[in-house]
Amino acid sequence: MTDTITEPTEETVFLDLHKKFMEDNKSSSAPIQEKALSRFETLGFPHSKHEMYTYVNTKKLAATVFSVSSSSAGISESFIAGHIYAGCEKSCMVFVNGVFDAALSSLQAIEATVKISSLEKTEDKDFVLASLENENDVFACLANAFCTDITVVEIADKTQVPVPIQVLFVSTDGSSLPVMHSSRLLWKVGKLAEVKVIEKFVGVQENQKGQKGYFANSVQDWSIAEGAGVVLTQVQSDPFDAWNFNKTRVYIKRNARFHSANASSGSVLVRNHFDLRLEEEGAELILNGVSVLGGKEQVHNFVRIHHEAPQCISRQHFKNVINDEGRSSFDGTVIVCQGAQLTSADQLINNLMLSDDCHADNKPNLMIFADDVKCTHGATIGQIDEEQMFYLQTRGLSKKFAKELLTRGFAESIIQTIQFPEVVKELSNTLLKKLETSNV
Amino acid sequence: MLEIKDLHAGVDGEEIVKGISLSVNKGEIHAIMGPNGSGKSTLAKILSGHPVYEATAGEITFEGKNLLEMDAEERSLAGIFMGFQYPVEVPGVNNAEFLRMAYNARQVKAGKEEIDPLDFDELLSEKMKTLGMEKKYKERNLNDGFSGGEKKKNEILQMAILEPKLAILDETDSGLDIDALRVVSEGINKLRNENNALILITHYQRLLDYIKPDFVHVLSQGKIVKSGDKTLAQELESQGYDWVTAAD
Repeated sequence: MTDTITEPTEETVFLDLHKKFMEDNKSSSAPIQEKALSRFETLGFPHSKHEMYTYVNTKKLAATVFSVSSSSAGISESFIAGHIYAGCEKSCMVFVNGVFDAALSSLQAIEATVKISSLEKTEDKDFVLASLENENDVFACLANAFCTDITVVEIADKTQVPVPIQVLFVSTDGSSLPVMHSSRLLWKVGKLAEVKVIEKFVGVQENQKGQKGYFANSVQDWSIAEGAGVVLTQVQSDPFDAWNFNKTRVYIKRNARFHSANASSGSVLVRNHFDLRLEEEGAELILNGVSVLGGKEQVHNFVRIHHEAPQCISRQHFKNVINDEGRSSFDGTVIVCQGAQLTSADQLINNLMLSDDCHADNKPNLMIFADDVKCTHGATIGQIDEEQMFYLQTRGLSKKFAKELLTRGFAESIIQTIQFPEVVKELSNTLLKKLETSNV
Repeated sequence: MLEIKDLHAGVDGEEIVKGISLSVNKGEIHAIMGPNGSGKSTLAKILSGHPVYEATAGEITFEGKNLLEMDAEERSLAGIFMGFQYPVEVPGVNNAEFLRMAYNARQVKAGKEEIDPLDFDELLSEKMKTLGMEKKYKERNLNDGFSGGEKKKNEILQMAILEPKLAILDETDSGLDIDALRVVSEGINKLRNENNALILITHYQRLLDYIKPDFVHVLSQGKIVKSGDKTLAQELESQGYDWVTAAD
């Protein structure tokens, strides 16, 4: 009798990794992890023909051998402090390599209004298990399969969280192999509650030689109850050698609001997946995004907005500034379901291309199954507007300065929609700074 | 101040301006009128240095310097202001900050220090008050979402801040209602003095009810076909352009 040795596939590599992971991490979320893994096996590793990954080249990711580690050793308090925005010093939740770190977090300002716990309640577990039934994003399945703990953040009915909550996701590089870590959050915002959240993704050993990078893979669900309001700002500032995939799924109930802005500085591969459901009448959604890419940086946005009830509003505006060999994509569909009358939905994507070798793919899409709606969508790809250049020059500004001003202005119109002055200030110093050093 | 000699100019190889000569001195107001397609805007574009428009023959000097060799930025810094017929919207660039940058570009050119932001704010507030512009214009982005009238007011605000030696206003009255026209005209009149000059390019005479020109030139098919004083504008208004252009 002879043994047949089969070539490892992308799937088997992750399955083997998962076995090791499960040996190391005995967790109460095991049923979830197993279900997520079986869903991953069903879906298979995505290739370019996969609808969700048409524009995202996952070959390099598939060919990378990862390790799993949740060690948080070596992260100093000063490193954390350097990434906490002013005003959030006593309201910051820190996740290190996907795991909530209570010692590094500081929650005094929100203790009375926000409850943070591990996934325990049966209803929450059922919710997560149910969401996996229909999970079609392979990497979201992997995030569920590889997370050691699911963190639940609850804001009770009629509660106004007095200060913005900052969620800091810190990732450490692997020393011998790139390390993969997953975080999983469940936000439950009660009726008429109000909360503002700033999420920031950073790496701890930025660009040190010999480090192998990391793959931060996160999924979060937001349940926003009737009349509640959420303002979410996401800032991605991982080092270049990082992969960052995140999925944000939001369920918005009657008259509730979800206003979000995402700022990505790009890395070897960043993918933002938004799955947003306006489930009841009067729900409102704003989703803005901006990225400034240079070198070989990539940012990909994949958006699905489901208008499931009448009188809901969704507004999307994404802008990308792409230089060098940067690459971005936007694949966004607004689905207006049957009966979702008087929907008002806008979607606009603008790309500013600064070099001959940069690349942008856009796929704005509308699927409308109701007959009394107002929906717009559009995408532009272009260079700096010569008439705008000329106009500024006629006011005495030099060509170089006018170009820089217009490029900054292009990105800034999204950054200005961010409600936190500290974040706006930081992005002006980081994201927009890239435009000064780049040869625009 | 400005000397145009036998200027021929056009765009994409098509000649639109076919031999214009004009002399503008300090303290003068010249109105250039003419029917649609007569070459008024092409002349304005050539004077402001638009890269797409090309002078094929003739010369233009400004204070003795060859204007055609200067790019738009240099012309502005030399003291020429172009008020656009259709001011461009620039989203993401704050109006007040832009005005300060433009002001500072001129300061630096003159070898002076850049203005303190607070001092500039004061200057801006004062100029906005004379133009009857609300404070919100400071916060808004440059012409972004402005109505036609608001854009024109914003052009005159820029002119007030930059205090040019020569201002060329291209169809500044178009798109303005009568109240806005009065405010804008008053603003322009306040900026006038014996050391600066103004070229008004307009299709209609009504702007000239508020700003009295010293000279009126009628442009037709790329040439000045008639020049006169302000009474010429009134004749054009009552009789139309046919009687002057027919003679061409």
